[in-house]
Amino acid sequence: MRLLTQRLAIDRAPRASAVAGPLLLVAALTGLGVAVGLAGPALPGSGPGLGHAFASGVVHAGFLSAGWILALGGLGRWQGPAIRGSGALVIASLAGYFSPAGAVSYLFIPLILARDAAVWHIRLERAGWCLPRDRRAPFLGAAAGIFLGVHMLFTASLMLGYPVTVPDGRRYLAAVAYDIGASAVTAEWLFRGAIFSALWRRWSFWPAAAASTGLSLMRYLLDPALPRTAELMAGAMFYTLLLGLGSCALRGWSGSLLPGYLATVAFFSAYRVLHV
Amino acid sequence: MILGALGLIALIAVGIRIAGGEDAWILQHLYALPALWAALARGTTGGAIVGLVASLVQSLGTFPLIERAGVSWVALDGIISLATPMTLGVTVGKLADQSRGRAIQLDALLEIQRSLAVAGPLSERLTEVAGLTRQALGVDRVRLVLEAGGDIPVAASAPGNFWPSEAGPRASATPCRRLVLSLDAGQGRVGALILERDGDLSAADRGRANALAAHVALAVENARLTEHQRHFARELEEKVAGATRRLRELDQAKNEFLTIASHELRTPLTALQGFSELMLTRQVPPERAQKYLGHIHTEAQRLGRIVGDLLDHSRIESGRGAELSPVPLDLGSIIEANVEIFASQHPRHHFDWPGAATVPALCADRDAVDRMLKNLLSNAIKYSPRGGRVRVEAGLAQDRPGMVELSVEDDGVGIAAEALSRIFDPYVRVANPETSTASGLGLGLSLVRGLAHAHGGSVEVESLPGKGSRFRVLLPG
Repeated sequence: MRLLTQRLAIDRAPRASAVAGPLLLVAALTGLGVAVGLAGPALPGSGPGLGHAFASGVVHAGFLSAGWILALGGLGRWQGPAIRGSGALVIASLAGYFSPAGAVSYLFIPLILARDAAVWHIRLERAGWCLPRDRRAPFLGAAAGIFLGVHMLFTASLMLGYPVTVPDGRRYLAAVAYDIGASAVTAEWLFRGAIFSALWRRWSFWPAAAASTGLSLMRYLLDPALPRTAELMAGAMFYTLLLGLGSCALRGWSGSLLPGYLATVAFFSAYRVLHV
Repeated sequence: MILGALGLIALIAVGIRIAGGEDAWILQHLYALPALWAALARGTTGGAIVGLVASLVQSLGTFPLIERAGVSWVALDGIISLATPMTLGVTVGKLADQSRGRAIQLDALLEIQRSLAVAGPLSERLTEVAGLTRQALGVDRVRLVLEAGGDIPVAASAPGNFWPSEAGPRASATPCRRLVLSLDAGQGRVGALILERDGDLSAADRGRANALAAHVALAVENARLTEHQRHFARELEEKVAGATRRLRELDQAKNEFLTIASHELRTPLTALQGFSELMLTRQVPPERAQKYLGHIHTEAQRLGRIVGDLLDHSRIESGRGAELSPVPLDLGSIIEANVEIFASQHPRHHFDWPGAATVPALCADRDAVDRMLKNLLSNAIKYSPRGGRVRVEAGLAQDRPGMVELSVEDDGVGIAAEALSRIFDPYVRVANPETSTASGLGLGLSLVRGLAHAHGGSVEVESLPGKGSRFRVLLPG
């Protein structure tokens, strides 16, 4: 009888040893890269900005690589895609440092990721690397991001008195390119795609969403670019929490990372006009 | 309703704005009310949406408060109260959903019990039960597999195609939870319930599924017992009806037998009385007296045969069996003698007897074989009132190794198919307008069968109404 012979689709957690080793390696390399970046100003002939740009690229490269390791569950050859994506991220970060026009190179990161992910598309479908089930989902994601962004601008400008300005269009576009190609991509790829999807398969939705959002919250709070004032820290926590939970809900509902990605891009596009 | 809750949020915001001042922010706790309202009315979704909006509206005042207060208990209170509407909305909404889920489950349980209580095969109602289970538990797919009492279990799914892909499982963006529950009732395991949901299957869902599985198992067990009782009652009713019909037939047969027996016994008795009285009361010339004595002897023999038949039948019926003395006998000569006697007595009939050349040796009771043959020949004559051919054959049975067959075939009125099963019963005479005047007690074929069985053999019949009959006695060689 078919019922008795049908193979059950059981999700097995990847062996810890298969994941832990590569993750430790990536963490070590990222730490080394950040150390080199931060030590950069001490080197003759280099300014502090270059070192920070390098460190920023290395951190995103670390997120991207960790995402590959977790998404493939220790199976498959994650090294190739991780090296290609990491290299592109570091190069884009350095190019963005030298010229705002160089930030255009960030836009290649999603394309490189898409090219590598196409090889593993069946397995990566579990991590949400697919088109949404509902065609309205991308619009809903973008709308949610715009709403949160506008709300954040309204609160910051009218209630807290922070100015909303776009003094330099090129720099604004460079920042948006960074969000499109690095910040939002690595956040969705790692926190929603790899971590949330994996946890959701073992736990239920809310614990998985809380854990992955908590990790992404830490990532933003540890970002040295975030101003350290009480109201901005509280605001960052509040909006990042809503953005993270919203992206998890969009990922769960639509089955795809795309709506959450668009929400993040839309929110940070609004954030970039806030002068803090 | 959600619009009403959003209106209430706006009202609270305006109220706080109008009240103004530092202390008016104590009113921010009122933002929990619309979230609570929406959660109770619309469940988790309503509570989450209104709670989110309340938090966003509340944040417009909370962040400046944090800015003014800096890192302090006031700021912490602001952050906590900011999270309150959404947390409350989601939590109360979940509780409201659970409560509604329980009500739906209860309704579904009643429906399942009603559905299973309907008469008819269980397999036909399983699809409805699977659908109700799916509705009650809010899962995507349900499959019910029940032991049907035979080798093959019965199964039903809701929706019809339980397995989305023939090729088996593949990667999917949404995790699929599957729960297989045993359906255990008082009598043991009655089947299994398999549930699938794309997404979460929480501990509460599992608890509900377990409770429902226990109820379904009991309902299935009850339905089975009811079906069993119905089946048993139907069988009993049929048996009682059959026994009553049989008793009526036997009663009718007994009455017919009494009528026929009294007639059959009276006929030779009348002749005996008449001829003996004539000889006692009148002077009868010797040659006529000789003739009368002949008649008396013939009728006495006839009476003796009737009494003999009755005694044999009585012996067979009582289970004592006929008293047999099997000896090696020449079946051909017995057939030849009988054919000669019957041919001489019934000139309108033509007897076919191929001869004794192919007749095998037989070890049987001579008298019993003779009586079986006589009864079959007598029947063939009796039920061929317009004359015709009577064919007698004997030989080794082709289809029964080790058996000798003796067959008598006629071109008579034949026997209706529905009467064939009764003709070997005692006192049974199949009604036919052409043979209504034929005499007999209805014991002939019954005796043939009894004597054949006593030898370890059997009797078979083939007949077509209007075409004739063929009786075949099989005896061990």
